[in-house]
Amino acid sequence: MNPASFHKDALREFVDNLKTVPRRVYETAFRGGPPTTDRTRSTFVFGNVFLHLHAVRTHRWSLRWTTTVGLGIMSVSAFLITLVTGVMLMFYYKPFPEAAYGSIKDIHFVVPTGRLIRNIHRWAANIMVVAVILHMARAFYTAAYRRPREYNWLIGLGLLVVTLGLSFTGYLLPWDQLAYWAITIGANIAQSPREITDALGITQYFDPGGLQRLLLLGSDTVGAEALIRFYLLHVMILPLALAALMGVHFWRIRKDGGMVRPADADERLNRVRNEETYPVFTEAPAKTYHLAAIVRGKTSVVGRGPENTVPSMPHLFYAELGVMMLTLLVCVALALVSDAPLKELANPSVPENPAKAPWYFLGLQEMVSFSAFMGGIGIPSIVLLGLGLIPYLDRETEGTGEWFGGPGGWRLVRFSMVIGFCTPILIESFAIRFGWLREWFPKIPQLIITCVNPATILTTVYALFSIWCIRRYQSARAGALGLFTCFLCGFLVLTVIGTYFRGPNWVFYLSPSDWPKH
Amino acid sequence: MKKNKYLLLASSLAVLVLLAGAAIQESFLKEWRRIQAQGRSDEGPIPVQLRQIVNTSLGVSDRCVSCHVSMGPGEQSVRGNPILVAHKPVVHDPAEFGCTVCHGGQGQATEKADAHGDVHFWPEPMLPKNASYAGCGRCHASLNVPGREQLASAQQAFERLDCLTCHRVDGRGGTVRPGGGGMEGPDLSRTGLKGYDSAWHEKHVQKSAAAPEGPWKVSFSPVSTTDQALLKTYLDTRIAAPQLVAAKSVFFSHGCLGCHKVSGVGGDDGPDLSRAGEKDPGQVSFKEVPGQPTMQNWMAEHFRAPASVVVGSQMPPANLSQQEIDQLTLFTLSLRRKELREIYLPKDRLRAVKFNEREFSSDGATLFGAFCAGCHGEDGQGRRLPGLVSFPSIANPDFLASVSDDFLAHTVQNGRPGRKMPGWLKDGGLRAEEIKAVVAHVRTLGNTSQQPDTRPARWITASAAQGKSIFESICSGCHGPQGKGGQGPALNNKVLLESATDSYLVETISRGRRGTAMASFLEPSPVRPALTRSDIEAVVAYLRSLLGGKS
Repeated sequence: MNPASFHKDALREFVDNLKTVPRRVYETAFRGGPPTTDRTRSTFVFGNVFLHLHAVRTHRWSLRWTTTVGLGIMSVSAFLITLVTGVMLMFYYKPFPEAAYGSIKDIHFVVPTGRLIRNIHRWAANIMVVAVILHMARAFYTAAYRRPREYNWLIGLGLLVVTLGLSFTGYLLPWDQLAYWAITIGANIAQSPREITDALGITQYFDPGGLQRLLLLGSDTVGAEALIRFYLLHVMILPLALAALMGVHFWRIRKDGGMVRPADADERLNRVRNEETYPVFTEAPAKTYHLAAIVRGKTSVVGRGPENTVPSMPHLFYAELGVMMLTLLVCVALALVSDAPLKELANPSVPENPAKAPWYFLGLQEMVSFSAFMGGIGIPSIVLLGLGLIPYLDRETEGTGEWFGGPGGWRLVRFSMVIGFCTPILIESFAIRFGWLREWFPKIPQLIITCVNPATILTTVYALFSIWCIRRYQSARAGALGLFTCFLCGFLVLTVIGTYFRGPNWVFYLSPSDWPKH
Repeated sequence: MKKNKYLLLASSLAVLVLLAGAAIQESFLKEWRRIQAQGRSDEGPIPVQLRQIVNTSLGVSDRCVSCHVSMGPGEQSVRGNPILVAHKPVVHDPAEFGCTVCHGGQGQATEKADAHGDVHFWPEPMLPKNASYAGCGRCHASLNVPGREQLASAQQAFERLDCLTCHRVDGRGGTVRPGGGGMEGPDLSRTGLKGYDSAWHEKHVQKSAAAPEGPWKVSFSPVSTTDQALLKTYLDTRIAAPQLVAAKSVFFSHGCLGCHKVSGVGGDDGPDLSRAGEKDPGQVSFKEVPGQPTMQNWMAEHFRAPASVVVGSQMPPANLSQQEIDQLTLFTLSLRRKELREIYLPKDRLRAVKFNEREFSSDGATLFGAFCAGCHGEDGQGRRLPGLVSFPSIANPDFLASVSDDFLAHTVQNGRPGRKMPGWLKDGGLRAEEIKAVVAHVRTLGNTSQQPDTRPARWITASAAQGKSIFESICSGCHGPQGKGGQGPALNNKVLLESATDSYLVETISRGRRGTAMASFLEPSPVRPALTRSDIEAVVAYLRSLLGGKS
């Protein structure tokens, strides 16, 4: 072969290859062809590392707005918004006392759009807390935690805790008075096991409270060490933990067969004819063929026809992106009308009075005012434990996928709301009007107050009510419905009292205008 | 399933609209853009852009010139909006020094309220216009400032001697008079900073003698040494900030340093004021302060009624005129500090920090006014303040007649433990020669010198036992059992007994102290017989024994 012509051919080929580069890039990106038909879209979703968290096809039941109210996606969206705005804020934020406050001031006043970004971050964080709590309520009331989703409920609880942790650690970073004293309260709650060890007189030998506080603050007082710890938790450890848990959460949704739906969902949907659904497979598979040798038992697809599914792309993605943009819209709108608070520089010698924790912890703080250990650690642990036990105690099947499904149903929930609202209001009114054991018997041992205080009595009443529900309806689900509803109501009542009706020294005031003047 | 599509479409559009609105607000609706768009220089419209003065040595990056364009470097001619006026000519060119060094505020902000610091919880707002001179205190330490009356008499001397005929000072005088007379002598507004020829008087005398006629002959005549000293005081305090110096002299006349430290000198009863001008309005209560919540209003109200503004304050209310309160406020606002690199360290601060020069004049009258007048009264007649022990009159002629200068100096130096009087040498930060000057001034206040006394410090040989019975029957009614104090002062005070001579104690008991409950005990009174000199010596011997010393 003539070396010159060979050379010439290779060069031509090179040029030809170069010309086709854009097309080849497109082709390699969308290996199954451009996602323009249902088939290629399915291939695309299946082959994309991010999209394949979704099933290729989505059941129409999942796309109904009333199924999920978009709360899960709203939580993720809020997280992504805080992630993006948070990284932007990190360009200017300096995690060192005094400098931190100055840098927040710079972000607020000097950095172009810094104020907006910070406001969005703050609102997205609050919306995330609300969305996560409501998402949990949705999952509970539709009994979505039931088999095979028990474990995912636990992951969800983990996500709730991490979300609250993320929000709380962000609270300290501005290093203003609000932050400083809220964290001081948090640190004291961490130290509250001392209430028990002090009462038992064993603090000098065994002091888990002091250790917890030391681990949290890295020092005896809230200072530079605490700030860098909270910063690291806020920007690295907790977001990574959240992302990891989220990955597991989503993956389990897929593995557990998508959104929960009632057994008769297909029939109910088929009452309305819908052109958008059409069979892909002609009959329900007797088994799914992938991993058939490895996976024990039947997968969730077995025995079900795909008639009521639609391609995830675009139907599910429209819904998800829609909720995401809606969340962003709410964040931006709130950010434009309401500035994130920034008080004066933290001053350890001038305590805020009242020093209040972030709003979602004010219910806890209200209980802490009765007993630091019970309110800050004891009851929250009991609540978390109780929530975690729900899917393992309720093994019924009635009402899965239905709002307020199960024995009792909406009637029971309504009745539980009456109990849930009235009990804390009555107990609080009593304690506010007549005082508590310490006022009547000044020398009473602390251990008794730790065990017998408005918060523990409230918990006990709720527990007794739950047991009554189980007996009355002969159903663990009924007990759970009662208890969970009470928990939500109690959380609401205590949070409202802590937010609006507590003044200096945590004294009850009907309105902030009644607060004593200094 | 269309509704999801519409949800996405609608919320995306709404987000876009909001973000576009935010972008428009951020990029087009800013006040500084509007002002700059109206600005016209000699060459026509000016470019609309963020402007700033950066001086890294001073740590300044001031964007104030984004609105105040005409105050920026080379932009003096820009006009077109009421805000566009050039800065009046000053020593510290804003083009180099920036704005916030003197005026305070937030130089990096670009909106009016933020930049001027009129926002809630802003720790350092801009200084109000009528307190601009307080900004000098951030870098400068005006030195050797005398008390108000000393400054006033120095200024009167300068005006009385007609120096303003030829010299210009702080914008006054030095005008050439029509029809002969008057001439331009050097401007003396900055002599306190730049110094001046100390041999000026001889040179003036020579020139006046040599001059055939004209102002040298008419307007100048030799100046007495007293007046020369007054002129020196006046010239030393000319630092181009007359209001600040006047305010400082007021501060040095009301005994503020008796309780407060400034730059390491002063008492410890009140808070250290070295950086009081930097007080954060977010950290104080404005509940009892009328008017705007500014530090200026807070301080003025605080001087009028300290305890109502600061809960638990023991500071006595200052019974002062509005002008003096304004001056005290101005001076307190000037108590601020900036860390400066060497090239920007002004000479006066250097002299104060490195060479320990005083910010107050070291004459006895000024020192007494600055350190003693707060408790002992401006005339040394003592003071009674609600809630506090009464402070003794030290200008009392009976006291001064029986006390030696050494005893006075010793008391000032070491204080009186157990009473309010601190030791001024170690704790108060005064120097021995300054204490001497104060003692000399106290002498002039009472106009009484000590009666000559040649006896040694301890000469009494009487028996303490006899003195004890006299003391218990006569003295303990006021001075308490064992001299522990009651209505009258405690006498078992260690420092008192160590520094007081026998003669002083005997004289005090014999003469009494006019104006107090302490009468002369050589005279009888309706409630007790007269004491003899030997009785009095016995009492003194007993007093000495109260410490377990010689009996």
